[in-house]
Amino acid sequence: MLNPQRSLSELPKMSSASQVERAVLREVHAVLKQLQDVLKEASRRFTLPSSGLDSQLKQENFILGSSTMDQVKGVLTLQGEALTQADINLKMAKSSQLLHFQFRDDKHWKLQQIQDARNHVTQALHLLSCRDETYHFKTGAEVNKLMDAVMLQLTRARNRLTTPASLTLPELATSGLMKMFSPPMPGDVMVNFYINLSKLCLTVYQLHVLPPNTTKNFKPAGSSVVHNPGAMFELNNNRFEVSHVHKVECVVPWLSDTLVFFTISLQLCQQLKDKISVFSSFWNSRSF
Amino acid sequence: MSGNNLVLPIVLWGRTAPTHCISSLLVLDDCSAVITGCHDGQICLWDMTPDLQMCPRAMLFGHTSSITCLAKASACADKQYIVSASENGEMCLWDVNDGRCIEFTKLACAHTDIQFYQFTIGTQKEGRLLCNGHYPEILVLDATSLEVLYSLVSKISPDWISAMSIIRSHRTQEDTVVAVSVTGILKVWIITAEVSRMQDLDPVFEEESKPIHCQSCQSVSFCNFTQNSLLVVCSKYWRVLDAADYSLLCSVPSEADQSWTGGDFISADKVIIWTEDGCSYIYKLPPSCLSASEHFRSDVGKTKEGAVPPLIYKIAEQPDKQLLICPPVTRFFFSRREPFHKLLIQGDSGGRLSMWSVPDRSPAPQTSTPELPISSSLSLQESFDRLLPVSSGIIDQLSVLPGKEQPIKVTASVYIPAQGRLVCGREDGSIILVPATQTAIVQLLQGEHMLRRGWPPHRTLRGHRNKVTCVLYPYQVSPRYDQRALVSGGVDFSVIVWDIFTGEMKHIFCVHGGEITQLLVPPENCSTRVQHCVCSVASDHSVGLLSLKERKCIMLASRHLFPIQVIKWRPADDYLVVGCSDGSVYVWQMDTGALDRCVMGLTAVEILSACDELAPATVDALSHSAVNLKQAMTRRSLAALKNMAQHKLQTLATNLLAADNADKGNLPKYSHNALVVSAMKTNLSDPDMHVLFFDVEAVIIQLLTEEAQRPNPTLVSPESLHKSQAGADKGGSFLANKIFKQVKETMKETIKEHLLDDDEEEEEEQRRREEKSKSLSLLEYNLTMDTAKLFMSCLHAWGLNQQLDIICLERLGMLRPHCPISFGLISRGGHMSLMLPTFKESLLRKLSVATGRKLTLSDIVGKGTYGLSRAVTTQHLLSVISLANTLMGMTNATFVGEHMKKAPARPPRPGGTPESLRRSSSGSQSSPPPQAHIKQGWSQLAAMHCVMLPDLLGLDKYRPPLLEMLARRWQDRCLEVREAAQALLLAELRRVGVSGRKDTIDMWAPYLPQYVDTVSSRKYCPPVDRRVTGQREDEGGREERGRRGEREDEGGREERGERRERGRGRTRGERGEERERTRGGREEKRGEERRERREERGRERRERTRGEREEREERERGRGERKDERERERTEREGEREERGERRGEGEREDERRERGREEREGREERERTRGEEGGEERGGEERERREERGREREERREGEERGRERRERTRGESGGQSLD
Repeated sequence: MLNPQRSLSELPKMSSASQVERAVLREVHAVLKQLQDVLKEASRRFTLPSSGLDSQLKQENFILGSSTMDQVKGVLTLQGEALTQADINLKMAKSSQLLHFQFRDDKHWKLQQIQDARNHVTQALHLLSCRDETYHFKTGAEVNKLMDAVMLQLTRARNRLTTPASLTLPELATSGLMKMFSPPMPGDVMVNFYINLSKLCLTVYQLHVLPPNTTKNFKPAGSSVVHNPGAMFELNNNRFEVSHVHKVECVVPWLSDTLVFFTISLQLCQQLKDKISVFSSFWNSRSF
Repeated sequence: MSGNNLVLPIVLWGRTAPTHCISSLLVLDDCSAVITGCHDGQICLWDMTPDLQMCPRAMLFGHTSSITCLAKASACADKQYIVSASENGEMCLWDVNDGRCIEFTKLACAHTDIQFYQFTIGTQKEGRLLCNGHYPEILVLDATSLEVLYSLVSKISPDWISAMSIIRSHRTQEDTVVAVSVTGILKVWIITAEVSRMQDLDPVFEEESKPIHCQSCQSVSFCNFTQNSLLVVCSKYWRVLDAADYSLLCSVPSEADQSWTGGDFISADKVIIWTEDGCSYIYKLPPSCLSASEHFRSDVGKTKEGAVPPLIYKIAEQPDKQLLICPPVTRFFFSRREPFHKLLIQGDSGGRLSMWSVPDRSPAPQTSTPELPISSSLSLQESFDRLLPVSSGIIDQLSVLPGKEQPIKVTASVYIPAQGRLVCGREDGSIILVPATQTAIVQLLQGEHMLRRGWPPHRTLRGHRNKVTCVLYPYQVSPRYDQRALVSGGVDFSVIVWDIFTGEMKHIFCVHGGEITQLLVPPENCSTRVQHCVCSVASDHSVGLLSLKERKCIMLASRHLFPIQVIKWRPADDYLVVGCSDGSVYVWQMDTGALDRCVMGLTAVEILSACDELAPATVDALSHSAVNLKQAMTRRSLAALKNMAQHKLQTLATNLLAADNADKGNLPKYSHNALVVSAMKTNLSDPDMHVLFFDVEAVIIQLLTEEAQRPNPTLVSPESLHKSQAGADKGGSFLANKIFKQVKETMKETIKEHLLDDDEEEEEEQRRREEKSKSLSLLEYNLTMDTAKLFMSCLHAWGLNQQLDIICLERLGMLRPHCPISFGLISRGGHMSLMLPTFKESLLRKLSVATGRKLTLSDIVGKGTYGLSRAVTTQHLLSVISLANTLMGMTNATFVGEHMKKAPARPPRPGGTPESLRRSSSGSQSSPPPQAHIKQGWSQLAAMHCVMLPDLLGLDKYRPPLLEMLARRWQDRCLEVREAAQALLLAELRRVGVSGRKDTIDMWAPYLPQYVDTVSSRKYCPPVDRRVTGQREDEGGREERGRRGEREDEGGREERGERRERGRGRTRGERGEERERTRGGREEKRGEERRERREERGRERRERTRGEREEREERERGRGERKDERERERTEREGEREERGERRGEGEREDERRERGREEREGREERERTRGEEGGEERGGEERERREERGREREERREGEERGRERRERTRGESGGQSLD
């Protein structure tokens, strides 16, 4: 770990700027090592599916529900980055009729967010592994460039988890997700799965068809992560309006771990960059 | 669209080459150019000679983040298009020849690799781009519209694709895409003709999916020589696979600490593999990998790891190479066209390209592996250093310290258009204030000023102890600030407030704990306290609100963990919203300085976007454009430019209307946007380079406005004077008096300022403070002519006509450039290409080859730019002709020093020293160039550029203007530009001759909408006039042939239904573009037809005796025309029509009169027809003759006298119309 106290106290003794830089660079590997450890830990959480070991992947069940309302209850099974099973119980608002859906046996739903985050971490690790202890950093700019590249991957990884994709309702309706269930999902119900921060979320939309010659102003809704009741869209010449939205979620513990790891490693990177920039500006300021 | 304005950039690069940390590279098929993309988002075009000498030609701006990949985007040799993609999902299609952006788009996903692929569907060839990146599919894009057509999707364990390769099979019609996913699974898709025709977004699933256990795959390449094997390079080993069943043929591990980053086949039995640190190795493949060998596939299933095949060549790192900050990019290219080079090319972080020509034969066996000698190597900085004369920076003449070779670098700058002054902060902590046009003239043009050291007069502000990092002139953003306040920030952590007029340091803020990185202005509707603040951002991740009024920091928001990326405002809630680089958002209360919230993720995104919705667009653009320097670089200049242009036109329109009420005082306030100097840097650590944006339209408007203000009763006829402004005379003389006084003051001031640069006397300061508002307006006057002078001098094709050059120098006061000037080209969406100073080297080389003799730099000064590219020629010719015409219409429009004094409110010209000024003024006073001579000079200048250029230059040195660009300006809102475009278009059509015109029609005919086809071909198919000459018949025949061709094409289009299908599938933007293109084509065609008609009519009139039959024919034709023109007429305005009717020749008058208002015309038509039927053809002819006679008289009477007024009126009408638009 960098020790700013020591480096600063050493400053007056150093005659040339390059010596200062060298002192800083000497500490870079320590930070990189720490960074690599944190990221390895994060990457382990993603349980990289190496082929052939698929069966060994741990299956986790998550019960999605909320204490305040009981219209929707879901039990989802997450295996790595894919949802392998889903049980959704839905109590219709009007008829209080109980609907039950399940994933078809042959279908898995891949959570692209998790896969993307995993791949970004892998890439960050790859960047770091190319610069192990044997590598000799020559300039601060070199370290900065490496940090930029690593941070780009880490920010992407974190952003994938923290900002779910926003979809329009027709996009959602035509996505493969609607065809995954048995019994087939009725036309007036739509579901969506996504990750928000460390939570696995399930959104269920109940729709009703707008009569063709309705006086209501029809305004199709744009893309959003969660649509509100009243959002309208058009699909196959039918106009729909969202009548009810149910959102249930459940924390995935290992995802919250990884988010913490991402934050820690990003901060480590930034601290290293800041330190180098302080020294390099100190060095540059000497020329005048 | 920025393309609407005729804006020409001129770049002053300075001696330091821009940082170009190469992230991707591409060699064109014919090896004529290398294209490199860099981490900062720029693209550099390097010309390459057949003997592998490189020369950087231009830099393309437009991407806002690192370029991830480059690929060619067209297959034909005459259309050199490339596509670039950046980290944030932007994609851009560029024309390599002139650096134009053809198309751009932004996708949500980032590509890491793009491959061009050409489908052949029947006779039609369709370009496709196959993209892979941070998403689990391969996206297939249309190579011309950049629109996603469909995607190649995996069914089995889908994951990101790390590398792919397209395998073209000669045996079957199917082509396959082979890709390796990040988890090491090889996927195969088959793309057939049916697939390529698919329209909807149906995914195509893979044909085969096979785990090959390749972790971190870097590249996949197909052996084009044997078509039997695949090379897969992973970071720790490389493998050869059989292309038929993907079985492993051999696997070679890397040396201990090396990691492979790519490789390719260089012949049937040799591969080249390169490492991350820039070394490359050429291996001979073992016999088990060679299909020709009997041992082929002998090892399948029993691969021996570690058996390293013989190494033939080694390409090691250059020992003398400078330190690199990131791994270099290596690629192998072999050209399929002449010259058949096999090239290994490498680009590194220092902006250096190195090239090795890979030999076909192996060297004689040796004990140690021989090294391949480098063929050529060049870095951007090296090419800058080689230049002679060196590439100039905007204030180099003021920055070269005695004893030092390099000038002090400019690190931050701001241009104050109201004063025409450029403020440059430098790396030594000083800030220089200098008139922008003057300093640009020194850098670009030769003249008296070269003798003067320290010219132009400038002021130096000293206060920062080190590099100045940002400068802000708040008054420019909002008038609520003090006009005198200039704010600067430096690496010494301080923010200094200056009085720009006295040069006094008003206050130093020391509140930050890091270098100041940005200075911003809060939006209009903040609390009054905040309104007088500027916002400073520092590298210690803190934001401060510094009150210029109270002279204290009213809020400091610090302790952000990450660098600040964006600052937004919510004035209604008194919130300052800080967005950090990690995506977190901090909401601060401005009044109390309390942190309200700190959020991440979705909420953060929502908060930021909510700020955008609340803030008016303009405020946002002005206050936030400079936030992310990297992004702002393009946006700042262009968005601001566009904003200003629009703002200007509107204000000008209102002001011109107000000008009628003799309210001239506020006119000059808006006359400053003809020139905008924008500082740009490609990388934060770079010094500033400066781009001078000339808005031709604005220059013209300013010139005309100034002309309109000229109180010169001798030249204004009593009639028009009476019409225009009753109060002009009185106001004018008053103005003149005042101006004269001001001139004297400024003269004194300038001299004083120059002599007593840093130490002014107290009373002088006092006086100046009083004078300040006056001196401000004086500089503006100066600006217009200076801008025009600078601009015309840069554009003129020097050295083609000795006599004209002399006239230009002596009579018109233009100056010759030192060396060819680096121009730029602005294309769609604010994308820009700027010529590097080294462009002249490659141009010289090219022209020398073309002409067969050695040329020197002075041979291509001025005229050289007309041999660069067609788009550049078009822009330049349009500008030079329209400006010359404007100047021709002005009184005494010469840039010769003497004139400057006589003109209203002209401060002394930069004659140089006061002595030389006096001398020159007295000298020229004796013989002022007469008005007629000046006019003649301008008209000669215009004529040369309009018609004589192709002959004078010769076709090898002349790239003709683009017809479609001219046609698009056929109806330009600025009349001068419109006239220039029309004249140029006609000249160009004449030049290309019958065959050229036919080609043009053939080219554009498919784009004509159908309704025009039917209407025009049926309604105004004129009966071919048998009476006239054979040549005419020929023309008519051609016309008819052309039309028939169109009709055939119509039929043809029905068959080619899929073409239109595709068009329908396009995005709206694309369709708009197409429509525009079509319109351009239609207009162009119509223009041509009109010209022919006009010629024909002229001929007929010359004959005078007209039989009954012809008369009726003509009228019929006229009716047809009228119907045709009706839709176009709707867009035209009455005033202009009258105008044009008067100004044009007789032949056109006839044409124009018809346009005068439909009712009137139809009435007359009716009358005429009745008359004709009564047998009154004679009378009709007489009538027309009489009308023409009258018109001619009127025209003659007015022509000379009314020009000024006409123009004024026209401008007014035009801008009035513009404000409605």
